[in-house]
Amino acid sequence: MVNLTIDGKSTSVPTGTTILEAARQLNIHIPTLCWLKKISTTGACRICAVEIAGVNRPMTACDTPVKEGIVVTTRSEALTQARKQIMELILLNHPLDCPVCDAGGECALQDTCYELGVTRQHFQAEDVNPPTIDRWPLIQQVPSRCIMCEKCVKVCHELMGADALFINDKGDRAFIDKRVENCIYCGNCVSVCPTGTMISKPFKFRARPWELRKTRSVCTFCPSQCQIDIHVKNNEIYRITSDDDTTTNRGNLCIGGFFGYGYVNSDKRLTAPQVSGNNVSWEEALGTVVAEIQRIKKENGAAAVAGLSSPRLSNEENYLFQKLFRAAIGSNNIDSEARFGALRALRALNKGIGLRGASNRLEVIGRAEAVLVFGADPSSEAPAVDWQIQDAVRRGDGKLIVANMRRIHLTQFANSQLSYQPGSEIELAQGLAKLLLERGLVDNDYLNRTVENLDNLKDDLAKVDLDQVVLSTGLALKELEYAADLLGKAATVAVIFGADIHKSAAGAAKSTAITNLAIVCGALRNESGLYPLDEKGNTQGVLDMGVYPESLPGYQSYSKKKEAFEKTWGCKLPEGGCDADAILAGIETGKIRFLYLAAVNPQSFPNSRRWLEALKKLEVLVVQDIFPSAVTALAKVVLPGATFAEKVGSFTSLDQTVRNVRPALKTVGESRADAEIFAELLGRLSGGEKLYSQKAVIQEIQSLTDMYQDVCFISDDWNVCMKQAYRVADKSLKYVPVSGKDEVRGLQLLVGPSMSHFGTTSTFAPPITEVESEEVFAISPDDAGDAAVRDGEKLKITGVTGCSVVARVRISPKVPKGLIYATANFSAAGITQLLADGDNRTAIQIERA
Amino acid sequence: MSKVAFSSWGREVVDNRQGGDAEVPIVKKKLPVTFDGQKEIAALMGWDGLILNDPGVDVVAMAAEYARRVQEDFCCAKCSPGKKGTRVMQDTMDRIVAGKGQEGDLETIEQIAELLQNCKCTLCPSSAVPIVDTVKHFREDYLAYIKGTPRKSAKVDYKVKLTAPCQDKCPAHIDIPAYIEAIKERQFGEALEVIRESMPLPAVCGRVCPHPCESACRRANVDNPVNIMVLKRTASDYEWQHNHQPSMLPKPRKNKKIAIVGAGPAGLTAAYYLALEGYPCTIYESLPEGFGGGMIAVGIPAYRMPRHILQRDIDIICSLGVEIIYDTHVGKDISLVELKEKFAAVLLAPGAHKSKPMGVEGEKEGYQGSLAGGIEFLRDAYMGKPTGMGKKVCVVGGGNTAIDCVRVALREGADDAILLYRRTRKEMPADSWEIDGAEEEGVQFEFLILPKKIVVDEQRRVTGVECVRMELGEPDDSGRRRPQPIEGSEFVVECDTLIPAIGQDPELSFITDDTGIGITKWNTVVTKYVPLKNAEGRDLNDTMGNPLSRILITDMDGVFASGDAEIGPLTVVACVGNAHRAAKVIQRWLEEGEAYLTDEDFHEDILTNLGVYDKNEEVPWLAAVDRFHQAEIHGRERASKGNYNEVELGYTDTVAVQEAERCLRCYRVSMIAIQ
Repeated sequence: MVNLTIDGKSTSVPTGTTILEAARQLNIHIPTLCWLKKISTTGACRICAVEIAGVNRPMTACDTPVKEGIVVTTRSEALTQARKQIMELILLNHPLDCPVCDAGGECALQDTCYELGVTRQHFQAEDVNPPTIDRWPLIQQVPSRCIMCEKCVKVCHELMGADALFINDKGDRAFIDKRVENCIYCGNCVSVCPTGTMISKPFKFRARPWELRKTRSVCTFCPSQCQIDIHVKNNEIYRITSDDDTTTNRGNLCIGGFFGYGYVNSDKRLTAPQVSGNNVSWEEALGTVVAEIQRIKKENGAAAVAGLSSPRLSNEENYLFQKLFRAAIGSNNIDSEARFGALRALRALNKGIGLRGASNRLEVIGRAEAVLVFGADPSSEAPAVDWQIQDAVRRGDGKLIVANMRRIHLTQFANSQLSYQPGSEIELAQGLAKLLLERGLVDNDYLNRTVENLDNLKDDLAKVDLDQVVLSTGLALKELEYAADLLGKAATVAVIFGADIHKSAAGAAKSTAITNLAIVCGALRNESGLYPLDEKGNTQGVLDMGVYPESLPGYQSYSKKKEAFEKTWGCKLPEGGCDADAILAGIETGKIRFLYLAAVNPQSFPNSRRWLEALKKLEVLVVQDIFPSAVTALAKVVLPGATFAEKVGSFTSLDQTVRNVRPALKTVGESRADAEIFAELLGRLSGGEKLYSQKAVIQEIQSLTDMYQDVCFISDDWNVCMKQAYRVADKSLKYVPVSGKDEVRGLQLLVGPSMSHFGTTSTFAPPITEVESEEVFAISPDDAGDAAVRDGEKLKITGVTGCSVVARVRISPKVPKGLIYATANFSAAGITQLLADGDNRTAIQIERA
Repeated sequence: MSKVAFSSWGREVVDNRQGGDAEVPIVKKKLPVTFDGQKEIAALMGWDGLILNDPGVDVVAMAAEYARRVQEDFCCAKCSPGKKGTRVMQDTMDRIVAGKGQEGDLETIEQIAELLQNCKCTLCPSSAVPIVDTVKHFREDYLAYIKGTPRKSAKVDYKVKLTAPCQDKCPAHIDIPAYIEAIKERQFGEALEVIRESMPLPAVCGRVCPHPCESACRRANVDNPVNIMVLKRTASDYEWQHNHQPSMLPKPRKNKKIAIVGAGPAGLTAAYYLALEGYPCTIYESLPEGFGGGMIAVGIPAYRMPRHILQRDIDIICSLGVEIIYDTHVGKDISLVELKEKFAAVLLAPGAHKSKPMGVEGEKEGYQGSLAGGIEFLRDAYMGKPTGMGKKVCVVGGGNTAIDCVRVALREGADDAILLYRRTRKEMPADSWEIDGAEEEGVQFEFLILPKKIVVDEQRRVTGVECVRMELGEPDDSGRRRPQPIEGSEFVVECDTLIPAIGQDPELSFITDDTGIGITKWNTVVTKYVPLKNAEGRDLNDTMGNPLSRILITDMDGVFASGDAEIGPLTVVACVGNAHRAAKVIQRWLEEGEAYLTDEDFHEDILTNLGVYDKNEEVPWLAAVDRFHQAEIHGRERASKGNYNEVELGYTDTVAVQEAERCLRCYRVSMIAIQ
C-alpha cells in the first residue's frame, strides 16, 4: 500500500493506483475528458493535471501512479486557469452545431465546459479541420467535433482487436481515420465517443437522447447475452447502448448488439395470425391449431404430432413448449436444432464429467494463462468470449493456441495457430494430450486424485501414434510440441470449442476427444474452464428445459424421471419420443402428420432440401415466427411471435448465467409474445390456466428440477443469476474412449458462423446487410486459381446431396487450400442443402458460374 | 565567422549584437562553421535556444517558420495543448510576419508557451523555448514587423530535423520515441516497423546492443533510463512469437546488382536497405552456411544471441531478395577486382576478425594451450570446432570479448576461467552487466595484472603465465588512470590455456594495391569525407577519431566500405548505422552517378556532435515508476558445460507496456538557417 495526501486528505491505496483513482476513492472530483476505465490511459486532454509538491510541473492524474508520501493538490488558481485555457484550446474552431449534433444532451465536452465555467474564447486560429467523412458504411466521422481523446482508437484496437481506427496527419489537421477493411462494425467507437464525432448513421438525426425511453434488457443474438439498454420512441427502437460500469460486458457490444436491432421494427414482420394464407383472428388461429391437434390425435394418435423449438425463445417459452407437447398433447416428439450440434457437445461433457455446459464463469477465460480455441471462432459464435480471450492474451500475458482449419480474427494474437486438416480434430486432440503426458506437462497429483480411470486414459494415449497424428493433421511435430508446451506450462487454462467440432456429424466423438484433452491439460481445475460454444442465443436454455425427447427439464432422464412430472402435471406422459432425425423420417413415411415449428426454420438445418420436401408432405404445419419464409408459405397456420424486445422472459448464457429480458415496446401488429401463445394453447388443450406468468413458470421449474433455484427477477434493473463454477470431486472425471472417424476427403465446403450475422434474423436488419449483404464462398487463392474464378465472380458448388448453389466468391488467404468456407445466414441462398444430414462439411465439386 | 552574434543555447544568454565578443564554448567547439563543408551556418534554432551567427538573419521570420514546421510536420496531435496550442502559435507568428500582428500577439505567444508546459510530451513545449527567446531578446524586430517596417534581412535556407536525445545517441538513429509510443499503445507490429526503418536486426540489437541510447535517456534525470533495448526485443519477439509475417515489401526489382563482402551486421544492413529499394544484392561470406551474421554470430555467444533468432533476422533479409554465398573468401575464391567487374557496385564489410597480439613473450611460439586470440576462440566454440582449450583458462583483456571468452570457457567445460586485466574493474571497457554476469557464473577476476611471459613445460605445453603487478598512475588520453608495473612484483598465474582478448583488427589483405584503395594506420579502409571544422578551425571527428561526415566511398570508384573495417572495431549498432548510410550513398551513386551526403545526413551529424542530451538538465517529473528489469536465468548452472541457453529472457508484453509508459517522449526540433 502507498500512503499519500490529496487536498489535505490522507489515504492509502495499492501500488500502481493512479492519482485519479485514489482521488475518486476519496470522492475528490478531478475533471477528465479522455479517461475511460476499460482502456489504457491516454493522457490526451490534460485537464486532469494536478500539482504535486516538489514536482515543478503539473502532472496528469489519470496516468500518474501514486508514490509514497506525495502531497497532491487538485484545485488551485493555477490549475483552474490552465484547465480553462486548455478547454478553450480544445474548443478552438469546434463547430457551433450543438443544436443538430447527435451528442447534444449527452456530450462530455458540453458537460466539462459547463463544469469548468468556460465561457469565453481567447484564442484564434485558422480552421483546418478536415471535412466530414461520410464514405464509411454505418458510421460517420465529423473531425471538427473531435477532441482527439483516442477513446475510439483504443477501444477498436485494445478491446476489439480490430485496429481499424488510427490518427492520420499531423498537428491541427490530424483526424481519426479508418482502415475500412479492418472495421468489424461493432459500434463501440460510437458508444465511447464523448462528442458527436463518431455517429451511427442509422441513428443520426432521428431522436434527441432525452426523448428516448430506456429499458434494461439483454441482447439475445448470441449466448454472450450482453446487457443492453433499448432506447425506444413511438414504439420503435432507435438505438441500443450498454453501460460500462454495471454490465458484465463492460459496455462493449458487437455488430449484432449495436446495429442488429433493426429487424424488430422491420416492415417485413408477420403481424397477424393466418390460416391457409388468410389473416384471421387469434381466436380462429388458435382454435384451428387446437382442433387440428385433436383431430390428428384422434385419427393417428398423439405420436403423429411433433414440434421443434428454438434457441431464439426464452427459457419459459421452451419450458412451456415441452410441457405443451408432453402434458397437453401427449407427444414426446420434440427437439431443436441443438440436435445438430450443441447437444452432441453436451452429451460428451455430461458423459465424461457430468457437466451441463461450460464448467466455469466467462470471466475466468480473461484470467487464464493459456487459452486453447479448438474448432471455434469466438468472434462469430460469442463475441464476449473473444473479448475475454483478448483480456487473457493481450491485457494479460496469457498464451493463445488457435486450432482451426481457417485463420480467424483471433489468429493474429495466437502464439500457435494449428491449421489442421479438415476432419483431423480427434487425432489433434489426442496428439496434444499425448504430448502433454509425454513431456511431463501434466499435474499428476491432480489427475490421480480426480480421474476415475486414469490408467485407461494413459494406456490409450500411449497407443496414439504421433507420426499418424502428424500425417492426419498436416501439422509438424514441432508445432504440436510447441502448442502442448504453451498449454502445459500454464497454471490456468481455458479450453473453448465450437461449431466446427459439434456441428460435424462426428461431433460427439470430437467433443469427447476435446473433453479428454481438457481433463489432461487441467482445464477443469478451479481457475480454469471448459467452454462449448453454440452461436445461438439460448441453446443452453433449450437444453436446460429438456426440449429433446431423451430428457425432461433439468437433464432428468425422460424414461426414468417422468413419474415426478406426471404427478405435478397431473397427466400420463407418453413413452418414447422422436428426435429431429426421427421426426424427419416420420414425416417422410407419413407417421408424423402434424408439425409445430416454434421460431425455427429448417431451411438452416443441414440437408435443408430434404426438410423442405418433407414439410410439404405434412397434413398440418404450424409455424410460429416473426418473419415470413419459404416455411411459413407451406404452413396451414402461421402464428406471429414476438422479438426479445417485446416480451418478458429469461435467457441462459453460455456460462449459465440467467438474465431477464423485458418488454421495451409493444408487440408489432397483432403479434404476441411466444410464451403467451404456448400458455394459451396449453390452457386450451389441458383445460388449465391460459395466461402466462413468468413467476409461475420459474417456480414450476424450480420445483421440478435442481436448476434455477436462485433465479428471482424482482426489479427492473439488470438482474442476473450467476451459476457457481463447477467443482471437481475426487474420482469424478471419467475418461471416455473415443471412437468414430471423419472421412471427408478432397475439396470440401465447411459451413459455419459469420462475424456479422446471427442466424437468419439479422438478415432482416438493414445495417447488418449493408456490411454483409449476401452469402459468399470464401476460397483460397490457390483454389480460386484452379477454378479460374476471380474475386467477386460467381461459383457453383455441388455437394454430396446432389444439390448445387451459386454464390459470389471472396478470395481469402484465411482459408486453406482445399477448403471453401460459407455461412448459412441467408436462407434463400440455400447453402445448407449442400450438406448431408446433421453435418457441417461436405465433399464438393466446383465450377465457375 | 568565428563570433556568435547572439546565443541562448544551453539557457545562457550571450549577446554580442551591440559589440563584444563573448564566447559560447560549446558552440565554438562543437558546431561546425559550415553545414555541408561549403554553406555557412547562419543560425540554429532548437529545444535549447537560439544560436545566431549571422546578425543579418531575420529571427522573426525564422521563428515563424520554425513554429509552422513544428505544427504542420511534427506535432503528433495526441494532446490538446500541443495540437491546438502550436496551431495558435503558428497562426500568431504568421500574422505578425504578414504585417497584421498586434503587440498583444507577443503576449499570446508567451501565454501559449506557458500552456504548452502541460503537454503530454516534450516536442511542443521544447519548441516554444527558442520562440520565446526571440520574443524576449528580439522584441524590436517583432515590433518592426507589427509596425509594418520589418528590417531587411539576409536570404537563408532552412533545414529542419526532428530528433530526440536517445535517437541522436543511437548510432543507427532509430526513432526510439516512436517505437516506444507504439509499444505503449500495444502496437507491437507498428513498433517493429519503426525499428526496421533504421535497424534491420531488431532481434539482435534488442539483445546484445550496448544501448548507448540509454545513456542519453532523459528519464535518467528523473530516476533511471528507460530500458530501450529490451523494448526493442519485445517488438521483435512479438512478431516471432505470433508467427507474423514481416510487413516490408521491396520495390520492383532493378537491374544493377550489388556485391557485398561479409554477412555481418554491416553487410546485412546494407543488403536489407538496398534490397528494399529493389537492388539485387549478393553477399560473399567466408564462413559456411549456418554461420551468417559475422561478429554477431561467431563473436557473440549463443547464450546472449541464440542462433535461431539471429537466423530468423537473416532469413527475413534474404527473403527480400538478398543472396548469401557462403564459404567464399573474397581475395581467395574471387578477387575484389573480379567483383567490381561483375557488379555495378561493391560494398566492403569484412569486419574485424583477427585478434591483436598481446606483446607477451612466447606468444608467437605456437605453444600448446597458447591460443591465437579471443575472437578465434569464440568462433571455434561457436562452430563446434575443437578450441584447444584445457581446464584452467586465463583470458587477458577487459572488453566484452574478454568477458565472452571467460563465460564461453565455462560453457566449454573449463574448471577455472580467470580474467587478467591490467587495470581495475572500474576501468574495464566491458559493459558492467556483462561483468556482473561473468561473476555470477563463477569467473575469477585478477585485476592490476600484466602478463609478461608464457611459462611452458618440456612438451611446450602452457603451465602458466608470468605476470607483473600494476598500480594506477595519472589519467591518460582516455581519461582512465594509466597502469604502471610495480617493479619486482613478478609472479606466475598457473593455467593450461592462455587467450589474448585485447582487441581485434580487420583482415584486409584482399584489398590489393592495384585497387588503389587506401588503408589507414589503424588498419581500416580509407573513405572519402566532407571536412567540417569548428569555429576554432579544428576538424570535427567522431568518437573513433574518424572524420565526422564520411561519404563511405573508397578511393576506387563504385567500391564502398562499411562496418568495423571502416569505422574500426566498434559495435553492431554502429555498423548498422554506418551501413544504412552506405546503402543510401550507394543508391545515390547508382542512380545519380554521384556519391554524396544529403542535408539530412549533415544535420544528423551536426546534432550528434553538438549533443542533444544534457545530463545536467533538471527534468521535473514524478519518479513514481522505476525501470523494470527483464527476467533472467540465475545461478552457476546457466553456465554449465554445453549450456548455451539464453540467459536473459526479455519482458512479458504487459511489463513492456509499463516500461514504455515511463518514456517521456523527448522529441525536439532543430532548424538550421544556412547561407
